[in-house]
Amino acid sequence: MARRPDEEYDYLFKIVLIGDSGVGKSNLLSRFTRNEFSLESKSTIGVEFATRTLQVEGKMIKSQMWDTAGQERYRAITSAYYRGALGALLVYDVTKPTSFENVSRWLQELRDHADSNIVIMLIGNKTDLKHLRAVATEDAQSYAERERLSFVETSALEATNVDKAFQMNLSEIYRRISKKSLSSDDPAHANIKQGKTLVIGAEEIHTNKACCSAA
Amino acid sequence: MRSESEEERKNATIDSRFNQTLRNVQGLLKGRSFPGKVLITRRSDPLDNSTMRSPDNHGSLRDSETGPSQQSDGSVEDEMQSRNNLNASPSASQEKSSTSNSENTSNEVQKPSIGSRATDSARLMKFTKELSATTVILEKLRELAWNGVPSYFRPNIWRLLLGYAPPNSDRREGVLRRKRLDYLDCVAQYYDIQDIERTDEEINMLRQIAVDCPRTVPDVSFFQQAQVQKSLERILYIWAIRHPASGYVQGINDLATPFLVVFLSEHVEGSIDNWMMSDLPSEKISDIEADCYWCLSKLLDGMQDHYTFAQPGIQRLVFKLKELVRRIDEPVSTHMEEQGLEFLQFAFRWFNCLLIREIPFHLVTRLWDTYLAEGDALPDFLVYIAASFLLTWSDKLLKLDFQEMVMFLQHLPTHNWSHSELEMVLSRAYMWHAMFNSSPSHLVS
Repeated sequence: MARRPDEEYDYLFKIVLIGDSGVGKSNLLSRFTRNEFSLESKSTIGVEFATRTLQVEGKMIKSQMWDTAGQERYRAITSAYYRGALGALLVYDVTKPTSFENVSRWLQELRDHADSNIVIMLIGNKTDLKHLRAVATEDAQSYAERERLSFVETSALEATNVDKAFQMNLSEIYRRISKKSLSSDDPAHANIKQGKTLVIGAEEIHTNKACCSAA
Repeated sequence: MRSESEEERKNATIDSRFNQTLRNVQGLLKGRSFPGKVLITRRSDPLDNSTMRSPDNHGSLRDSETGPSQQSDGSVEDEMQSRNNLNASPSASQEKSSTSNSENTSNEVQKPSIGSRATDSARLMKFTKELSATTVILEKLRELAWNGVPSYFRPNIWRLLLGYAPPNSDRREGVLRRKRLDYLDCVAQYYDIQDIERTDEEINMLRQIAVDCPRTVPDVSFFQQAQVQKSLERILYIWAIRHPASGYVQGINDLATPFLVVFLSEHVEGSIDNWMMSDLPSEKISDIEADCYWCLSKLLDGMQDHYTFAQPGIQRLVFKLKELVRRIDEPVSTHMEEQGLEFLQFAFRWFNCLLIREIPFHLVTRLWDTYLAEGDALPDFLVYIAASFLLTWSDKLLKLDFQEMVMFLQHLPTHNWSHSELEMVLSRAYMWHAMFNSSPSHLVS
């Protein structure tokens, strides 16, 4: 893929957004990538795509994000996008207990279809609906600790913690990758420092073959 | 906003492409240059230019529906009047660049092939004649409807084309009455019950439907009415319960909306922006819902595996689309492949929602005239429509990289589309179907 000069970045990370239908995945993404929120958004059919480049830990990181449909029927389609993803944002709705109960099923989905070292972040969205809250922060917090997930609560509507959630996930991916690249016993990442750019996690066909070693 | 010159340039390109395609087809038809035996049409048309009827005679029937008030008019007179207005403007066909001008210039492109093209009023007469027959001949109705149905006739014609209303006029009323009662029974039996009487699966399904109804066509204010959303919920839930192999799948909510709008148009006046569901008595609402339910069922009967596990039907269409695009437009196909773009990344939604999501809502009923006229052949023809739709932007696509392409294709600039762009898509689909469908190896290197 030819790189545009105006699109300088050091890393390309592929991220997936998953979680039950209607929890606000698409609005989290549009808030993060375009600073937009729509009360009139339609359900996502299959997958939708967005991207944003931002500085994380001093590096320019381009995130390619795949927003997936929440309904179970679409799993067969959407799970194909887990492959090669370095990060996953697993979203539930703090006003919908079932969406929180289903988090474990989503984790299983990731275990079944995603790379084993995928960095998962649990996100409780819609904190603006204070009077409707039905999932306590502490419950989600302790669940996240048990499952070793990062955790944050967000409001896509009020733009609370949205950037932070994505940034945290990207930083963690970055740290994990740089740590890996330093360990010489991982031949797959041995030459990470040789190339200026490392394209990770994208489908093979999207990678820059000249410098990519991790796809 | 696009500048006017850009717009003109774009149209010039479209026109030239279209003309090129048309010449190709006509050349092939006249010169019989097809290798081997070619069946040009599934219909009974003679093998001459009149097989190209799709673009020629559509112009007449869209005029009354170009604005947001499309479904509102209820009289033939209105249609004829608005058509006359358009006829009075001879330059209409030259002014395609203006998006406000809804008249379709592809008329002009087709003029040479029109010959004994029927006048518009004659066309309306044809509809009237076909509909008033003791037994409607569906094949004839399909031919007429393919090019667009006047909104006044649309509810009746859709019911007939889908096989919901029987062609025999003596039986029609009785059948509809029975089916409507049948629906009412279903609502009582499956919908108007307590959650405790439902299985977990049913509760889940109802919950999913309830999540989706408020976000169905959210850009049209009519669909924000609570009663409209309740009607949708009932229709979708009953459909899902009665079709357990697929159950409710997101996107089917979109598919119910053209029916709702069309069957409502029989009972309300004015523009859709002013329709109030609450003005209607509950018996009427229930009849409308019943018609929607049955027509949705009939439509989806022909696409059963589109919504079952892993949606094989849709995957098949996506695959066929990729193949077809490779045959029609090698450069675009190669470019997409080089960029690593998968057809599934954009075309899945196209087929799942039958393009409803991709065009302005006021054009959807016109698109569906063609869908319903295709009948059982719809899934196959959808591939051609999708190819034609995609290649509307073939020049643009060649300039985009992977990311730009995915985002472009997921948010296509069709907001300002009028009927002319849609007719172009349909006409080209028709031609490509004639060229490629019966000659699987044609143009394959």
